[in-house]
Order: sequence, then C-alpha cells, then structure tokens
Amino acid sequence: MDSGAIRGAMTRRQLLRMVGMTAGSAVMYQAMTSLGLAAETHYKGRPQLGPAPKGASVLVLGAGIAGLVTALELRKAGYQVQVLEYNAKAGGRNWTLRGGDTYTELGGEAQQCRFDKGLYINPGPWRLPHHHHGILSYCRELGVQLENFVQVNHNAYLHSSKAFGGKPQRYRTVKADYHGHIAELLAKVTSEGKLDAVVSKEDKEKLLGSLQWWGALDDKYSYKKGYDSSDRRGFAKDGGGGLTGKPEFSDPVGLHDVIDSELWGSLPMGDLYDMQSSLLQPVGGMDMIAQAFARELGGIIRYQSKVTQIHQDSSGVVVSYQDTAAPGGTLTAKADWCVCTIPLSILSQLPMNVGAPMTAAISAVNYASAIKIGLQFKRRFWEEDDHIYGGISYTDLPISNISYPATGYHSPGKGVLLGAYLWGPNAMKMTSMSPAERIRAAVEQGAQIHPQYPAEFDNGMAVAWHRVPHAMGCFALWTDAKREEHYNNLCAFDGRIVLAGEHASYLPAWQEGAVTSALDAIGRLHQRALAEGAKA
Amino acid sequence: MSLLKSKRLPRTMLLLAMLVALGMPAVAADNAADPKAPAKPVAEDTGMMGTNDGEKIYQQICAGCHMKDGRGATGAGSYPSFAGSANMASSRYVAITMLTGRRNMPAFAPPRRNEFYFPPVWLNDVQVANVVNYIRSNFGNNYPDPITADDVRALQPDKK
Repeated sequence: MDSGAIRGAMTRRQLLRMVGMTAGSAVMYQAMTSLGLAAETHYKGRPQLGPAPKGASVLVLGAGIAGLVTALELRKAGYQVQVLEYNAKAGGRNWTLRGGDTYTELGGEAQQCRFDKGLYINPGPWRLPHHHHGILSYCRELGVQLENFVQVNHNAYLHSSKAFGGKPQRYRTVKADYHGHIAELLAKVTSEGKLDAVVSKEDKEKLLGSLQWWGALDDKYSYKKGYDSSDRRGFAKDGGGGLTGKPEFSDPVGLHDVIDSELWGSLPMGDLYDMQSSLLQPVGGMDMIAQAFARELGGIIRYQSKVTQIHQDSSGVVVSYQDTAAPGGTLTAKADWCVCTIPLSILSQLPMNVGAPMTAAISAVNYASAIKIGLQFKRRFWEEDDHIYGGISYTDLPISNISYPATGYHSPGKGVLLGAYLWGPNAMKMTSMSPAERIRAAVEQGAQIHPQYPAEFDNGMAVAWHRVPHAMGCFALWTDAKREEHYNNLCAFDGRIVLAGEHASYLPAWQEGAVTSALDAIGRLHQRALAEGAKA
Repeated sequence: MSLLKSKRLPRTMLLLAMLVALGMPAVAADNAADPKAPAKPVAEDTGMMGTNDGEKIYQQICAGCHMKDGRGATGAGSYPSFAGSANMASSRYVAITMLTGRRNMPAFAPPRRNEFYFPPVWLNDVQVANVVNYIRSNFGNNYPDPITADDVRALQPDKK
C-alpha cells in the first residue's frame, strides 16, 4: 500500500477531532455572545426572555439536555410548556449506569448492572470543560455538585502493541523523552548556526535557554541520563530519607525508539481546547444534571412517550405519540410552537411537514459509532499497584482508552473503570458483537496493559451507541461539506418548528452544544411569539 | 512497509501514526486512494475488513444495526428489516444505499476527501456486491439476480 492511500482518508483536523471528540468553538462562542452569555471573563447568566405572550404554549420533544434547558427557560418566561420524552427518565444521552439498573439495547439483549453501590459509568458525556459556561451555569443553578475530572495523568500508560515489546510506557517517560530529544535536536541546529537565517542573535541565546528548560537538557544541551531528565521522566529509584534515600537516575529511551513507537501521538490530547484542565464532572454521575432538571421541571415532562408524527399548520403544532407503557392508541399534544430535540437519527424517520430545506438537512447526517464499556474489578488495583489516580491510558488496541475513576480514591472494596471508549470502524465492528462478547474483548485487550485484569475482573456493562433505543447513534457526524449545505437550514425555524440539540451546534457530542443550541432556538422562538402576539 | 519511513509526506506520516496510536488499523483507509493516483485493482484489496466475504462483512459491520438475523430493531426509531422487504427487490437500490448512505445509514463509499470525525469504513465494489447478494439471498430473501462488482462500479460514475 502506498503512502498516498492514507492521504485521502483523513485530514489532520479530522484526526484531532477523532482523538479529542472536539471541535472549534469560535462559532459557538459567537452565538453565545449574541445572547450576551460568554464574551466576557465573567459569565453573565442567561437571556431574560419574559414575559411570554399571554397563553403562549410550547411543546418540547425530548428531555435530553437541549429539551430540559428549553423547558426550564421557557417556563421561566411564562410559556405553557409540555415535554414528551421517549424514556422513562430524563437526560437522553446524559446518562449514568449504576448497580441495579437494567439496560436493554436494540436487538433485545438486556444487561443487569451489577456495580457496587456508588460505582458507575457515564455511557455518554463524561467531562465538562471549564469553558463550557452554559452547562456549568445550569450545574450551579440547579445545585449539581462538581469535582475534578482528570484528563492528563502523567502516571497513566501509553501503550502500543507494536512498540517496546507491547509493554505499556508511562505517559511521563514518553513525554519527557519525546520533548527532550526534540529539544536536543533543535538546540544542535541552533548552536550550529543552521537557524541563523530565521533566528536573530539575541533570540538565539534565549531560544537555547528555553530549549534547555523545556526539554530538560543538561548544560551541554544534551538530553541524557541525569538529574534533569529524571526530574521529568521519573527516577529509577525515587529519592527518600535516611541512609537509603539517595535517588537513582533513570535511562532515557533513545530518539529512534521514541519516534518509532508512535506513542507521541497521544501526548497532546490534554492540550486540545476541550480537554484542557480544569475539567469537571458531577459528583455521583453525569445524570445528576438530568435528575436536577427533572426535579425542577416536575410534572411537565411526560415520560414513555414515543413521538410518531409532527404536524403543523397556521394555528399551531400537533404531535402524535404513543404511550410505550400502554401501547395501542395514539395520543396527541398541541401547542403554538414546537422545539424538537429528537436526534436526527430518529427524526429523519418521522413524518413531519416541514419544507424541503429542513427535510434535506435532517436526512443529511448520519451518527457516529461509539462504544463505552464499564468494568468492575474486585479492587482498585490501578491505584494500589500502578499508582494511577484518575486520568486516561491510551492504547492502539481497539479499546482505545482505559479511564480511571477520578473519584473515590483509596475506597475499599470494588472499583469501576471505563475499560473501553472507541469510535469509528472499531466501534462499528464491536457494535455487531453481543454485550458479553464486547466485555470479554475489553477484558482481554485491557489485560495487555494491566495484567491484573483476568484475576480481578468482576462484571461489566457495554453500551454501543447505535444500539441505544433512544439515540441510535452517538452524535451527529457532520462533515464540512454537509454543514455548508445544510446546517443553517437545520437550525432555521420552519413555520412553528425549530430544532435543538448537539446536532444543531458546532459542538457535536458536547452537552454545551445542546445547551447553546437550545438557548439560540428559544431566543428566536420568543421573538416570533412576541411578533405573533402583537398581531393577535 | 511502514508508512512512517516515507519522507515524502510528513502529514501522512502524522496521520498514520495517529491512526496507529489510536487503535485504528492502518489499513482502515485502504480504499481511500488519492483521486489523482491511478486506480488500484480494488478487487484484490480487502481494506480494513480483511475479507471480501459478504456474510462475514455483514456480520461484522451491518449486523450492528440490522442485527445478525437481518430483522432490524425498533426503539424510538427503527433499523429496517431485510426480511420480506420490498426494497430488496432491486439489487441496485440496496447497492446504492450502501454506497451513498441514507439518513442515519452511513455511506460505505463516501466521497473522497470527505471530512469525517472518524475514518469511515470503505468497502470495495466486490465487497458491496457480495454483501448485497448475501442480504438478498438470506433472511427469507431468495432473489435470483446477483449483482456483480462491475454493476456496483457502474453505479459510481465519478469513481476513477
């Protein structure tokens, strides 16, 4: 296979997205700014919509984050709001699996979660960047307690089945050796005057100094065994007290082995904007956010309601739905306006009388394949044996990630980690497996990084997003070309209907995308409602 | 050969390395040839699937949504069943759906250089034909008119 073969497949940008599940947020920022939300250092709160025109009503489809935000804000403004939700609880993809939960995927396989009390995984979103002001503001408003989510852990592993004999390396050593060798190379060409054309004489000295500091080079600008390098990559024997306390330096890995290992590919993950410290998570599981919303909204959410048709005319919107707890009949709900947050994976199958542009937009986007697998072990060996407290190990095996809980450190008893988080082709293949097969694969692969796996494994839960009945996919897989052609048509009002959700944002897969799309949509809804109210 | 040895395409090197680092098989993009490059004999190139066998590809990829028994599933929406589906009558309809995607169904021969968050699965013409024929002769279907790789290629006039 020639090198050209890969070129057409991926751009650097898509690659970054792949590794980070992230996207540029400039546009989102713009949108928030127009609502007066995020331009400043200090978050100023949400739009004050009210008051709503007297008697104006809104039907919200879906009680995920976008629907919940919509309902909360519109109710505050005085609208009559009703929410229809397919599931028996709120949250949508904001979801936490705990012991006692039963999850039945499409195809009918049911999994009983047997995690111990207090242990969980978040099959969907699991981290809150500190600059996702919208979702964080709702955590504050609704009293959702937050704690740190650990993205970068210098003591976690980077693993390649094809490098270092398959032995996992500590993030710290890969980073130190990679930076150290690069710094040495740069210092060499700088000293030899090969950069004189682009580096001034004054800058040259400073550049050399910075390379020495950045790369942990010695006074001869070499990256080699000694205090400087061990102070980054760790010591062969850590310093301590008393007669036996003398530290021993560790041996850096050579340039070729570092480069050839390709482990450097995972180093910048925590430098991506959406993954930078600090990241946060709700204490007790991501669905604490959904639960807080649901408490606040109370009876206006009608659960177990499967939408079957959306119809609008000049006077309002009528939504047909079925009560999945009492199947048979068709029920209807009516309102002046409709904010539809149903994922496009599902909405594209529903009859809805909107115009060709929105219809085409809804049909244009397929959903990303992704899988998360939670594994319970008899003890927290990653802390006890490996000294890993939170953070993520990366591997070239299909499981891609192992993420350690950033909570409950040193807890006695069992522990749950995220034993796989994979996307793309590997996720498609694993979706075709049964849940038990997926868990088995995760344990087998993870054992290459943590040999404790087989002896300590207790039970697991595997969520393949294309098999999730209420989502049928992980998130809207926009391409730039599709966005160019369809995005504005997707977000624009069609009569009395407007869409919201991560799919209607430039922050796919992020809850902040759902929040900001909802705020954007209801701002426009309110203007329309006011205009209509003035005419009436 | 290791693509990382190439000095010609630094960006490619990065991409490949990242693929490897992220657990994506390097062959994942096997069919994603540079449009300017001469056409490769796709029939010999099984890409990331490692097989041209229609049943194996179906059970590894398609079954994720359409299920191993081809009967699909229903939740808030549905994955269509192939059993007794009138849409199966046209082999070309099934092939085009696989090639270009439809709604939440991904394209398995997406436009070259299309930007995705994740590398898609590319299937070659033989693979598409074999999967179509597998679907149309299983799950209660028994259509007598198999589609060929040449037929599949003819459905993609822009393909070099």
